[in-house]
Amino acid sequence: MAAIATQDMDQTAAAGPAASDRPKGKGTVELRGVTKRFDGIAAVDHVDLTVPGGSYVVLLGPSGCGKTTLLRMLGGHATIDEGEFLLDGVRTNDVPPARRDISTVFQHYGLFPHKSVRDNVEFGLKMRGLPRDARRRRAEEALTFLDLTPMADRRPRQLSGGQQQRVALARALVTEPTVLLLDEPLGDLDRLLQLRMRVELRALQRRLRITFIHVTHNQEEALAIADQIVVMQDGRIQQVGSPQDVYRHPVNLFTSGFMGDNNVVPGRVSAIGDGEVWVEGDGLSLLARHDGAGVAVGQNLHASVRASSVSAKPAIANGNALPERPNEVVATLIFLEYLGDIVKLHCRLANGQTVVAKRAENVRAWEGLVEGEMVRLEWEPEDVQLLLA
Amino acid sequence: MSNSSSRSVTADAGTARPASVSRHRLAAGKGTPGDWGLAWALLLAFPTAWLLVFLIIPVAVVVVVSFFEPTLSGFNRVFTLDNYRLLADSDVFIRTLSNTVINAVITTVVTFLLGFWVAYYLALVVPDLRRKFALFIIALAPFFTSFLIRAIAWIPMMGREGLLNTALLNLGITSQPLDFLLYSDFAVRVAMIQLYLLFMVSPIFFSLSTIEPAILEAARDSGAGWWAILTEILLPLARPGIVIGAVFVFVLSMGEFATVRLIGGGKTSSVGLGIQNFVTYIQFPQAAAAASILVLVTVAGVVVLFRYGRVAEGL
Repeated sequence: MAAIATQDMDQTAAAGPAASDRPKGKGTVELRGVTKRFDGIAAVDHVDLTVPGGSYVVLLGPSGCGKTTLLRMLGGHATIDEGEFLLDGVRTNDVPPARRDISTVFQHYGLFPHKSVRDNVEFGLKMRGLPRDARRRRAEEALTFLDLTPMADRRPRQLSGGQQQRVALARALVTEPTVLLLDEPLGDLDRLLQLRMRVELRALQRRLRITFIHVTHNQEEALAIADQIVVMQDGRIQQVGSPQDVYRHPVNLFTSGFMGDNNVVPGRVSAIGDGEVWVEGDGLSLLARHDGAGVAVGQNLHASVRASSVSAKPAIANGNALPERPNEVVATLIFLEYLGDIVKLHCRLANGQTVVAKRAENVRAWEGLVEGEMVRLEWEPEDVQLLLA
Repeated sequence: MSNSSSRSVTADAGTARPASVSRHRLAAGKGTPGDWGLAWALLLAFPTAWLLVFLIIPVAVVVVVSFFEPTLSGFNRVFTLDNYRLLADSDVFIRTLSNTVINAVITTVVTFLLGFWVAYYLALVVPDLRRKFALFIIALAPFFTSFLIRAIAWIPMMGREGLLNTALLNLGITSQPLDFLLYSDFAVRVAMIQLYLLFMVSPIFFSLSTIEPAILEAARDSGAGWWAILTEILLPLARPGIVIGAVFVFVLSMGEFATVRLIGGGKTSSVGLGIQNFVTYIQFPQAAAAASILVLVTVAGVVVLFRYGRVAEGL
């Protein structure tokens, strides 16, 4: 595996199974109103999505949100009840799995336990009727590509989790797909290996220049790996955007809650100024940098502030009165959660609501902050996100 | 840690510690397996004694008796090979033995051909676990009745004036009752297949149940059609179950005598039935010799099955 991570990402993999001379933009996936129902209930509900060829897209959502069902439809393992799936402009709804230029890395890998690593990798080529020599050679290339040559004659159960994952990758890639589907590919690995493998998956995708569509429920994984994150809930797409976009500017309550550590406050628009919107929340007032589009005075909405955008310092001992300025509040520090690289401050407002502040772990971040004492919390207008959707 | 070791640690930390720790570990290492060894010995003593008294010793006695000289009503304790020589020279016995082996092989093969699909349906087609096991229990239902009743039930079904013949006559398909339906090798085989089918289905069912759905999807994803999935994935993965099922059915069929007697009706025979006849005529040494040969042939069959079934490899 090290070979993948360390090799120059732009280097064309002459020995690899990937056809790097493939025209750019191949592996473009277009979904139009794609729907899947189980017993009348929509698991995937009118999903429209375009995935540009050669990009790394992560479908992110909690379990039961429809992301795996959507992936299975792309792979041809579930029928599409409604809508259209175009692969490079060609309707692919009813093409059987093996005829699609799409391969899947299944959850828990689904390796053939009775076959050697080499035979696992060769399987797809054998099914396509390639002569023995040709498939031997191509399997060998894929094995080399994924650093599996030393264990080619072993059975999957004799391998570690990370090695099994590479076998699953080799087996999926040996048929030279233009789209690779990955269903929770890191789910079976321990945390340290997850961190390593996600970097390597990313590097692999860069090197192959094919489309990766990766399903996960892990926000951090999605942020680390994706070109585009597709946030899903209740069978619908909640938000599509770059990791920065989705993280910094969640558009609705679900995304804001799901992306973790957002302070979400219900409130009412009290004034709209030049590029600014004032929101009176429950127990605190917020000033948001916003062009005012889609917002009206008196409107009820939610505002969210990332925990990492909230700074905290000790409040002046006696001055417990609420500050007049917006985007500032005095609260009681009820719990200081030390997480190693960051420190999380759980604070309670006078009305009982909780605000979380997150600071990088350094001396200044929590100097003088003591559980049970009053703290002054502050944030910038740029960091206030209005959830309109 | 024991008292002494912790005291030595506090007394002079640096030097005493390693010695006392290692001593302590050694003592624990010696004590633990010994205690468990005794517990295991007690646990295993009863089944071992059971096997010894009710299987090993009787088999040994049978083998010993097979080398004794027969008399009109028993045997003399004099060594002889005549019992085996007699059987080997007997066309009837050789024919009976080969017939028994052929019946057992046919029963094993046919129960596999039929049973595999039942197991396949239960394990991989029925979607949810509860329905799966409900159907499995229903499939087991014949075993709630006695073996004899199930065998006898074939007579009103397959007899000359049985349901099947009556139906065939009335429908004008045949002009006279079909004799081979009962009291024939055919009837015996059909009955044995029905009686032993579940011994084939159960282990295959359990083997197939362990196959993750993702494995089949991955095969389909790679372009495998149903034939390739059957030959490349399902049969190899079910192999342990198939071999175990085959051993069950083969061994049971080889020892068969009640079905042969009831449904064969004297028109056909098996070694088991032959042994019973020897016993009826108080020819214990011949019975013992026939039994020993039967056991030998059966074990040979099982060895072949395990050899070519490569059971351990698939587990």
